[in-house]
Amino acid sequence: MYMLQALDIHKRFDHLEVLKGVSLQVNKGEVISIIGPSGSGKSTFLRCLNRLEKIDKGFIEIEGEVMAENDAHGRARYVDEKDVARLRRKMGMVFQNFNLFPHKSVIQNLTLAPTLVQQVDQGEAETVARQLLEKVGLSHKADNYPFELSGGQQQRVAIARALAMNPDILCFDEPTSALDPELTGEVLRVIHDLALERRTMIVVTHEIGFAREVSDRVIFMDDGLIVEQGSPEEVLTNPQQERTKSFLGTVLSAW
Amino acid sequence: MDYVTMLLPPMLKGWTVTLQLFFMTLVLAMPIGILMGIARLSPIKPLAWFMEFYVWLFRGTPLLLQLLFIYFGLMTVGLRMERFSAALLAFVLNYSAYLAEIFRSGIQSIDQGQYEAAEVLGLSRRQTMSKIILPQVYKRVLPPIGNEVINLVKDSALIYVLAIAELLRVAKTAVMRDGTFAGFIMAAAFYLLMTAVVQQFFKWLESRFDYYR
Repeated sequence: MYMLQALDIHKRFDHLEVLKGVSLQVNKGEVISIIGPSGSGKSTFLRCLNRLEKIDKGFIEIEGEVMAENDAHGRARYVDEKDVARLRRKMGMVFQNFNLFPHKSVIQNLTLAPTLVQQVDQGEAETVARQLLEKVGLSHKADNYPFELSGGQQQRVAIARALAMNPDILCFDEPTSALDPELTGEVLRVIHDLALERRTMIVVTHEIGFAREVSDRVIFMDDGLIVEQGSPEEVLTNPQQERTKSFLGTVLSAW
Repeated sequence: MDYVTMLLPPMLKGWTVTLQLFFMTLVLAMPIGILMGIARLSPIKPLAWFMEFYVWLFRGTPLLLQLLFIYFGLMTVGLRMERFSAALLAFVLNYSAYLAEIFRSGIQSIDQGQYEAAEVLGLSRRQTMSKIILPQVYKRVLPPIGNEVINLVKDSALIYVLAIAELLRVAKTAVMRDGTFAGFIMAAAFYLLMTAVVQQFFKWLESRFDYYR
């Protein structure tokens, strides 16, 4: 059984067809990086997986349970809201802009959803939260507010917040793109540690070196389609497709 | 000085009427304004349209006219309201419209990412509103709300047209009767005192929200 299966995903915004039939099957413990030029649809695809964007057409299944499938007219229909909500909770999400709750302290950011959504009691939620903060190296910031932290620290809190819900799949939407270059390392290290724990992860990223290092599989997307996928070796070192080669050429020469 | 001490008791009495209108309007219009602000953004289109119409109606006509309309207008169709109740009704309807607009814009100023973060964490719409969005809205709308509250202090004088013995009416009566301006000066002092208190209160409130940005 796949942890996540998305087949022939189509998505358009008004007249712009952003996804033109993208499929992805994710195995337990697999770390997948999705790379590609901006506008290729990689972030939209990731957002479709947990219904931050609704798909127009296609099939999405999480741990063997259908979340959306096509009706007789070939239009995607989601299962009922309660089940969608339950399935979405199996997925954690880390955003480009962190999206921490500014009016809550770091520890409150971590305990809010477990106590509200999973009815974990406050004390237990705090214990778990402190362990997670330790893991991302921010125990000493538990009582600070997000504005008092650097971008890198905020993103590490956001990762801990996602982990606090104990998701089976963790999604990252360009987690380092909003950071100053000197701050990306600390965030990538945390994601790297999670990869070593064999957590199932899907990472949309611009960091080619990072993708090479942590991924089991790299997917190159362009113009709403998957152009090429395979091991980091196959896609990043010996790409077969012209578009992959030219993308890697521009990205790597910029280094 | 003797004149001032003589005038003080009736002025204080008028002042309590003004204060009553002030506090009752706030207590009623604030929650109504929040709900209307949320309703204005409702995905249920007719509800949103109705709120837009409501806001247009009550912001688009003078409060003075609304006062007269509610008291005298309703009287002509046989609905006789007590003067103060009519005044309060007009004020609550009017101020709800202004507050609704402030809350609407406050809600819309919150970054979409806040909704998305709450959504992926599994919070319901209601939880997202009450735990994530509104607490941040309150901080942002404090300055414009402060403005409205100060306006309310001054607008309260309008109810004198319904012959309610509030602060300004008491002052005016005294000025007419005694041929001295002292009544108006005392009234001005009362209003300035009230607005000073409101201003300090909001300054304090804003500082209470200073703990985050």
